[in-house]
Amino acid sequence: MHFFLLTAVCFAGVFWLIAQGSTILPSASDKYARKAELVATWCLGKEARASNPLRRGIATYLHAVGIQAGYSFFAPNVPSHHRLMLELFHDDGRVEYESPHVHGKAAALRLDSLLDRLPEERYESVREALVKMLAFSVWREHPDVKKVRATFEAVHLPSITEFEQGEVETLEPIFSFDFSLRGEEQQ
Amino acid sequence: MSSQTSCSKAKLKLNSLHRGWQRFAGFLFPSESDTWLTVFRIGLGVQVTLYALFLRSDWHYLFASSGKGLVGREVGEAITSFESPLIPKFGWLIAVGRTLNIGEETVLTVAWVGLLSAGCLLLLGLLSRPAAIVAWFVHLCAAESGGLVAYGADNFMTTALFYLMLSPLPDRYSFDHWVAKTKPKNPKALGFWRRVLQVHLCFVYFIGGLAKFLGNGWWDGSNLWRSLIRPPINLISPDLLVHFKYVLPLLGILICLLEVSYPVFIWLKRTRRIWLACILAMHAAIGLTMGLYFFALVMIIMNVAAFGVPSPGRSAPATHELPSYEGSHQGIEFGAK
Repeated sequence: MHFFLLTAVCFAGVFWLIAQGSTILPSASDKYARKAELVATWCLGKEARASNPLRRGIATYLHAVGIQAGYSFFAPNVPSHHRLMLELFHDDGRVEYESPHVHGKAAALRLDSLLDRLPEERYESVREALVKMLAFSVWREHPDVKKVRATFEAVHLPSITEFEQGEVETLEPIFSFDFSLRGEEQQ
Repeated sequence: MSSQTSCSKAKLKLNSLHRGWQRFAGFLFPSESDTWLTVFRIGLGVQVTLYALFLRSDWHYLFASSGKGLVGREVGEAITSFESPLIPKFGWLIAVGRTLNIGEETVLTVAWVGLLSAGCLLLLGLLSRPAAIVAWFVHLCAAESGGLVAYGADNFMTTALFYLMLSPLPDRYSFDHWVAKTKPKNPKALGFWRRVLQVHLCFVYFIGGLAKFLGNGWWDGSNLWRSLIRPPINLISPDLLVHFKYVLPLLGILICLLEVSYPVFIWLKRTRRIWLACILAMHAAIGLTMGLYFFALVMIIMNVAAFGVPSPGRSAPATHELPSYEGSHQGIEFGAK
């Protein structure tokens, strides 16, 4: 049963990648991959209601063993890198630029992992709240700041050829939020 | 006459089924010494201790509630609870602490001290099983409460600690054995848990290799380039890396081949050492060139424990040839007589 669940998790991940059309396989395979992914996720009880005891039981077991996610790290391709830039507007008119930060390098990897998760569809409902919390973590260190503008950007890294031609990384703004002490407004 | 023939045919079928079952049982329950478990325990002791020490300065910041930490523990816990409310999380411990009038900060500190102590105890082999259970539980709470800030290394640590917790501890090199003079563990139980770890690693590499093969970037070297210049894991200067631009496609394909063929060549006596050495070198390189030290360390520990430790009375490291499982004649208890 243990390895059956592990197989289902692994193949659900691989079929999801194919269904997304992000692999070298022809697009004709996408719909079959979607069907195969459904079969794999059905085996994991994910097609049942969220309150289904079997679904919950399987999810608990998968998390307890650490096999809730597949093993397709950096696959099929290395994902884009993201960053959150905070513009801090001080009372006296000064503007400072800062990013959310942690103390140690081990935690910095974790913060980076969080930023790379934000554009994912499954985090859409909590995205604004998360950005607000990240902005607030910096705000606490600067109590005289009147307003914070948080801009979330995708960092496009140059290819080897582009790098040889002197090109550097380019930034693509994805969304931004303005936060003030009186309230928040989204842009 | 015909009934006799069909009867002997059925007997033959039953016999072959019985032999197949015995071979399978022999594969699942080979006889093993506990040396691999010693390596696994000490390795995970080091891993857990370093994990706790390196997260010391950010522990409260990562797992505190909203308004006190980075993003607040609640969001991660809400996402986890949506999947199942039964998954352990720091929220449970903090709720217990609240009933005892103990603040969140104190509970988190106790959890950190518990994790560090469990790591040190595992290292020494003192109270091995309770230490393994505490390490698994506290690490799982951290991985789930901080689910948003977790990454691959956390999943592997959970898996490794889960297997360690269930393995037949204590081993003969532990303080427990020295102090309590515990009896040697059942060699078949030791073999079973090692087999589980071995098969699990085969899944990990096969799926990892397969998924990489499906990306065009692993064929032309661009994925290796991108992963090595990607902040914050860009320890090597791109100016230096660009000199190896013709090697990157070859390395990319080699990594995919190495991973996808792991479940075959790691079992064959002739190729086991080569594959193990290549996999260990790959993880060491990931650790050194990308700064993913915890990920590299846990993978090295799992591989060495699974395939790197020689079985008793054998010159070659670990395990047995796939086609002729050792234990096919030894799995008597499990196979039907």
